[in-house]
Amino acid sequence: MHIPDGFLDIATAAITYLLSLGYGGYALSKVKRTFNPDTVSLVTVLAAAIFAAQMLNWPLPGGTSLHFVGGALAAILLGPWLGFLTMFLVVFIQCVVFHDGGITALGANVLNMAIIDCLVGYLIYRSAVKLFGRRDSVRSIAAFLGGWFGITIAGLACGLEIGYSPAFPYGVTVTVPIMTGWHAVLGVIEGVITSVVVLYVARRSPHLIMSEAG
Amino acid sequence: MLFFKKALVAAILLVLVSPLFGVVLADLVGYHEPLDLAAEAIGLEDLTESLNWTPLLDYSVPGLPAEVGYIVAGFVGIAIILGIGLLALKAVGEQRSQRA
Repeated sequence: MHIPDGFLDIATAAITYLLSLGYGGYALSKVKRTFNPDTVSLVTVLAAAIFAAQMLNWPLPGGTSLHFVGGALAAILLGPWLGFLTMFLVVFIQCVVFHDGGITALGANVLNMAIIDCLVGYLIYRSAVKLFGRRDSVRSIAAFLGGWFGITIAGLACGLEIGYSPAFPYGVTVTVPIMTGWHAVLGVIEGVITSVVVLYVARRSPHLIMSEAG
Repeated sequence: MLFFKKALVAAILLVLVSPLFGVVLADLVGYHEPLDLAAEAIGLEDLTESLNWTPLLDYSVPGLPAEVGYIVAGFVGIAIILGIGLLALKAVGEQRSQRA
């Protein structure tokens, strides 16, 4: 999911940077007034946990791997704006400190993992809980679908970005089906982990699931 | 508070077992990043190493075995995130005291 340097042309890199910066500014303005020690602590600790979880690469025979991304989980627990800040912190540290994901592709990686994954996961979970109520069965299925579709749509976006970028010789007709299909398969695991964690938090500290508020 | 402690303990445990997945199993199955493989197959140059600015490239620490370096890198990452969080906490505390 982390696009390295050299995969995106200047135009694609610039557009994704602008989109991510604009969204980031809007997200900050939305949460600025509600910032308090509790929300800051939640964002920090969840970012640390997601960063650690992303280090568990599960290599698959054939030379590829899957790892938990966590965008949908962050948004379900903290809402889309604080969820964005959580994932931004993770993706930014991965890029700047460990060069995991290119600096030229940081805008695209933030767009995929901190914006699209978060928004899709949040909207699916929030809609399901609003429609069917705050029951464990609803939470479980909604979180699974949020995690699964979140990562699948983020994979689709990744396919579009590298497919439209002239730096990558294959076009979107190749990159989109491959990236979307692969992430749809691997996303089942993302959905299961998201569902298990959300259910765990819901049973012990339901007030921490901010996407259920209001 | 209990949630924070549990989440932090979980993060530390995940980092401690992470080399098993990020290094040992990866070597066993000949793992490479999927996008790196795609780039190699079509002759696209991955600029990660030539554009590199960090000594902790790909969660490694110079001079340490890969497994140990992976753990150290994990703790460095968590420490930086917590450090940023502490700075943010301080800033929020100052803002609130100014408003009061």
